[in-house]
Parts: sequence; C-alpha cells; structure tokens
Amino acid sequence: MLSKVASFALSGLDGVPVTAETDINNGLPSYELVGLPDAAVKESRERVRSALKNSGRKFPLSKITVNLAPADVKKEGSAYDLAIAVGILKATEQLKADLNGVVFLGELALDGALRPASGILPLLISAKAAGYKKFVIPEGNAAEAAYIEGIEVYAAASLSEVIDHLSGLKPLSPVPVRAYESGAKGEYKFDMAYVKGQATAKRALEVAVSGGHNILLVGPPGTGKTMLARCIPGIMPDMTFEEALEVTKIHSVAGILGAGGIVNVRPFRSPHHTATTVSMCGGGTRTVKPGEISLAHHGVLFLDEMPEYHRSALEALRQPLEDGVITVTRSGGAVTFPANFMLCASMNPCPCGNYGSADRVCTCTPAAIRKYRSRVSGPLLDRIDIQVEVDSVKYDDLAGDAQEESSAQVKKRVERARAIQRERFRTSENNSDMGERELKKFCALSKECEDILRMSFESLKLSARARSRIIKVARTVADLAESESIRPEHILEAVSYRRYDNMA
Amino acid sequence: MGYTKEEKAMIWLDGLALDYAKKAQLLHAFRDPYEIVARFSERESEIGGITGEKMLHAMRASLEGGGAAALLESYRAAGVSCVTCFSELYPEALRAADNPPFVLYCRGNTRLLRERKFAIVGSRRTPPQIAERAKRIAEGLSGPFAIVTGHADGGDTAAISGALESGRLICVLAFGFAHVAQAENAALLEKISERGLLVTEYVPAQPAQRYTFPARNRIIAGLAEGVLVVSGGERSGTRITARHAYDLGRDVFAFPYAIGDPAGAGCNKLIKDYAKLTENLVDITSVFGINLTEKEAAPLTGAEKRVYDCLGAEPVHTSRIAAQAGMKEAELSPVLIMLAMKKRAVSCGGNRWARI
Repeated sequence: MLSKVASFALSGLDGVPVTAETDINNGLPSYELVGLPDAAVKESRERVRSALKNSGRKFPLSKITVNLAPADVKKEGSAYDLAIAVGILKATEQLKADLNGVVFLGELALDGALRPASGILPLLISAKAAGYKKFVIPEGNAAEAAYIEGIEVYAAASLSEVIDHLSGLKPLSPVPVRAYESGAKGEYKFDMAYVKGQATAKRALEVAVSGGHNILLVGPPGTGKTMLARCIPGIMPDMTFEEALEVTKIHSVAGILGAGGIVNVRPFRSPHHTATTVSMCGGGTRTVKPGEISLAHHGVLFLDEMPEYHRSALEALRQPLEDGVITVTRSGGAVTFPANFMLCASMNPCPCGNYGSADRVCTCTPAAIRKYRSRVSGPLLDRIDIQVEVDSVKYDDLAGDAQEESSAQVKKRVERARAIQRERFRTSENNSDMGERELKKFCALSKECEDILRMSFESLKLSARARSRIIKVARTVADLAESESIRPEHILEAVSYRRYDNMA
Repeated sequence: MGYTKEEKAMIWLDGLALDYAKKAQLLHAFRDPYEIVARFSERESEIGGITGEKMLHAMRASLEGGGAAALLESYRAAGVSCVTCFSELYPEALRAADNPPFVLYCRGNTRLLRERKFAIVGSRRTPPQIAERAKRIAEGLSGPFAIVTGHADGGDTAAISGALESGRLICVLAFGFAHVAQAENAALLEKISERGLLVTEYVPAQPAQRYTFPARNRIIAGLAEGVLVVSGGERSGTRITARHAYDLGRDVFAFPYAIGDPAGAGCNKLIKDYAKLTENLVDITSVFGINLTEKEAAPLTGAEKRVYDCLGAEPVHTSRIAAQAGMKEAELSPVLIMLAMKKRAVSCGGNRWARI
C-alpha cells in the first residue's frame, strides 16, 4: 500500500511543502528513507519505530520505503517524524482516515509523545498561503499557532492522540484563535524612572527612538550606559501584530521562542563582543539560521563596548543598517532575513575610561585616544546619527529622590513624533530612512538655519558627510517639538549629537 | 635656489655621519668649509686626525660619488631646501643657542625665518579649555610674530591650529624629512609645509630618538624672542624649552594653573622661578611694546549670556549649568553649541563645559 502525507520544510523564513510518501512492499524487512535526509531525519526511523510500538500500534515487518518529496531539497531536523509515522500507519491500514490536505509537523519521543519543533509559525503561515487548512502539531507549539486566523490547528500531546483524533475516536478541538495583545504593560524590567540624572543622554535616547536613529553612548565604565540602553525597548512604540508576527517568525526559526507563543515585546539583543560575523548576520553550515541582527528585528541591537568587537563583525553591520535586511548566501542557496533594528552601541571615551571624568584623571595620550576610537571605522560611525556622552554620576544623585520621568511618559512623546512621521511618509518609514529626495521635500531649511549649519561645520570642523544626518536628526527634534518647520535650535541640538566626530 | 660653494660644502659636511663636536672642530681648523672640500686630498692626514680613519674613507667616497651636488639633488627631489649658517636667511637669534645647527633643513616658506618669532609650546595632555586659549593667543600673535612650536598633540597642536590659517607658523621637527610621512599627524605636517614652514636640524634620514626631542626644544627656544608655555606637568619637555629660553635671556611666559592640577604643575613652577604669569594676549604684547588688542568677541544673545555667566574656567557639568541658568537640559544644549561656535565655550568631555 502507498500513502501520502503532507508536511513542510523550512527554508530561511519560508516553508516549502514536503510530501512523505510511504510504500509497504513484501520482501525482507527493511526501512529505506530517501529524499536527501540529513542525520536527524534518518534517525527518525528509530524514533518512529519505538513511538509506534509504545503507542500500541505495529511497526510492519515488511520492506518499507519512505520518500520525502521533492527529492532534490535537503531535509533537515526532526519535524517529519509525525508525518512519517502517520504515513506508515496509513500505508499499513492501521489508520483509515482521509489525510488529504492535512499537514503534520512534530518530533516524536520514544514513548509516542510529541515534542515541539522550531519554526512552526513561519511554516503555518507559508502553508496557509499555499492553501492548506488543517494542521496537526505538537501541543508545545500551540501557543504560537494560536495567532493565525482562518486555519484549523489541532495540537496533540502524543501519537495516540493524533490517531484517536484522525480515526474520529476522540476528536480534538481546534486551537482557539487568540487576539494579539501587545505586551508592553509592565513587561519591561527597565524604566527610565530608575535612571538618575543623565538628562542629556535620556533626551538623546528619546530623539533616537522617535526618529529611528542609531545611537552611540560614550562614557566611562560604570556610568549606566547599559542601563540606559536597556530602557530603549520600553520607550519604543508598542509592536503591531504584523511586526510581532515577523519577529515571532524569526525567533521561531531560531528556536528561542518562549512559552508566550508570540514575541509581543520589542526584542533587546546584546551579543557578547566575541560574537563572530556569522552569529551576528546569520548563517550556518546546513540550516541557515538568523543572526543577532535579525533576532533584533523591530527591536534593539546593543553592542556594549563596541571597539572590542571583531572588526569584521562590525563592518558586516553596515549593509543591513542601510537596507534593513540581510541576505545570507551559502552554496546551497541564499536566504534573506529581515534585520530592521535600532543599533545602540556603547564605548569608553578612551582606553583608561576616565577622559572627561570630573574626579579621575585620564592617563591616555591624545594619540592613544585616537587609536582607540579608530577601532570603530568611519563608515560605521557615519551610520550612527546620534552620539552622546554619558557621564559618571555622583553618589548624591543616586541617593537623592528627585522624581525622574518614567518610560511611559517618554513613550507618549515618542508615539506622537512617530505619528507625525507616519502622516508625512504614509509608510512605516522613519526620519532616519529619508533619502535625498525626501530630505529636499520635508526638510527645507530657512536661511537662518542654513547659516547656522554652515557656521557649525566651519567652527566645529564636522565632516561633510554628517550634513544629511544632522538634518534628519533636526527633523526628528522638530517633530518632537511638534514644529512644522526646522528651527535653528533644532539644528543646534542635532549638531550637539555629532560632537564626537571632531574629537576623534 | 642657488647656494654658494661655501654653503654647498657646509651642506655636504652636515650630511656626514659625524657628531656635532667633530664638525665644529673641522670648521674651526679650516675656517671655511669649502677649504675642506677643495683641499681634501692635500690635507687628508689632518682631516683624518680629527675624524678617524674610517670616516676619512667615507668622506673620500662621498666626494668621489658627487659630493654636495648629489646630496643637493636628492634634497631637491624630496622638496627639502637648506638654510646654512652662512645664509642670510639664517636667524641671527639662533646663533646664540647651544650648538647652533650648521644647516636648517626646511620645507615651506623659508622667509619666515627672518621674521620676528614667538614660541608657544605645551604638553600633550592639555585640557581642552586651555588648548582653546592657546589657540586664540597663537591666532592673535601670528600677526606681529611668526609662531614657533613643536609638533606634538595638545599644546603644540593648539598653537598650530591657531597660526596655520595666517601661514605665519614655523614648526620645528625632531626628526628628518624622510620620516614626516610616517608621523602620527602627517596630514597636519603636510598642511604646515604648504602654508607655513617645517624646520629641522636633522638630515632627512634621521629618525626620531629620545634625545632628538630635547635637542629640538633648544632650537624652538633659540629661534624665538619669547616662549609661552601653555601647559606642562612636573617633568614635561616644555620645561626644557623654557629653561633654554631663560638661559638665552628670552622672555618666558606661562599660564597659571590651580593648585594640584597635574596638567599645569610645571607651569606654576616656571612662574615661581622666572616666567611671567600670563592670562591673555596683552600680557605678552605689552612686554614687546606691541599694541594689539584681542579680537572683539561675537555678541551674545540673552540666553547665551545667561549660560555664559554660569560657566567658569573650570569645567562645569551641564546639569549644574541648567540649574543655575534656570533652563531644561534639552534647551541648554543648543545654547552651548552656539557658544562653542562663537568660541566662547568649549566642551571638556563628560558633558562638562568651560568658558574660554
């Protein structure tokens, strides 16, 4: 007997339909698995055999051939176990149900239990687009599947449950659809209210988030750069369902999805400075997995002590910073992951860390400081619109109970500024994404502003490349002030965020 | 540029790997360097007695290989011109220095050597607000004087950036011209050679050594009518420059510093010993009888004036400025940047600002 069972394979963030064809023939008992399986797929034989036996079914003593079609696509991972097991049951007529149009996903344990698989959400989305309506998945993946409307998803805890459901003995009810809820309420551990002082840096963060600008925090060790950075997700606007779905897809493929099923808070990724280019951008020998920049999609990528990172890992950020996507090319094909993140980097002002400190003496020579700063390349610094100094805090400031603004208050202003930008661009773009044409259209400068800008370039010795960056930031500052036109003080504030240029 | 045969011989002699004393001895014995070249074979034994046998061979080989002509050709190709102690461009004041150089290797406008000269030197660790002041004084003094300085970061660079615009700038190197391209601030030195003058007593091939820096400082002191020390710790090289200037009877000026400030301990010691306490341009010009007033500062608006009044010579944190001026910090930063553009305030790092 021959049976066909549908399943899906993951390719990047998309699902590719795979059919598990099972044929039972007379002959010496054997088990043949074809269709370019990798080691994990090949080993499914042992899992399927034990799972069937321990679920009270028979593993046929015949010549079994399983083909995962299309035969020329490499199959990886353990999510085909369920489809193969069901295929064998169907082929041996231990199961008589109609399996047409049902997609099976999941890994089997030896006792027949179903284990959650990674990448279920993107697979469901692709399968839905391909016209599939019914799915059987492990119970552990039910949470993420619950957010997709218009399909019937059955979550089972074990192979027996699947069989009982298919044969109509004990039908499962479909996973109820859950309405999306952005999880901003109380989900962020770090709040601006807990950061004492640092008014300049906080203001810079507000501007950066409002316009989607990247930011560099410069300050001595122990001044709260990391704490400030961790506050960023809390002042970003809530994630929309579309954004959340995109992020969840990536996290699902990476296999780091939490129990919540959907990522509804802005991701905050802070890879260690030993991170390699591949771990940053994505890659891998067999499966191409998303890297840190994709995991930070719609969120924040925080690089603490930026000069300590490998030069190559930093340089690799340049193209995704411009394009918002990263295309990872391997001999097996190219995969494109979204990587639209806000970069927040931090660094010491000098090798000893005390430059500009009020109470400690910097022992670095200007040459040593230049050398340290040059470890972050100019082109990368160019893509960071806002550079701000974070300074050491006095004990009294920390101990004092001065009321600081909470993240929620800042977020309100950010959302207003974002609304103005949505109105302006009619897309999800931010001020930082403006090209030359938009600059001309939306950032016309008065004569007075032009003069100030020219004067600042001359007297502060800014690099000419900084010009459009300054105007973009000035646009954001104006939006925060809800001002139609860019005024001189907006330009000046934007200029103050580029001071680091001429120090280096 | 044409050189006399005397000068050519001097250049050839200076290019030899002989120490200063031996060259001086040779010159003393022959009176005229051309004599050494012209009557080399005749008085070989006498020359050998001074230089040693090995050097004598080297000199003979050098003369046979073209002598001064070959050397001058290579200098010309490298864009280096020579001012010898026989040249009328040679600064008279320098002759008073210890071991005045026989030849000054130059790149740039050599006529600056005959102008009135004033030296401004500082250590590498010069606080930003001091650097701004030094820059302003260099700018003001570059009218009546050509500014002489070194090429280190900090104080020297502040003097350079103040005087470079006018082109009246002499920068004395501690190494030969062949090593300019490898220098940390090669681009800046290149600019100086275009607008001002780079000078060194070293032949192009001479690299920087520990001893070349203090030796260079004696030339800075020797060239200038006066020296302003803008910064310097207890053991800073600027004190060597000041000492040389003092020994030559030149005027020494120094910025005062607060008690215990390591960036200026050397300056304060100089003031205690012999330097004139200097706060502004007039403190210097009055000594030379020059009538020069500081450039009129750009006028300040109301808010700028309010913020400027909260600033002092010592850096103040923005939160304190904001509190004193009664402004929010977000309102403050545009004003501070405007003050920086008007050259009235400078950022000292760590969100702290000082007045200049």
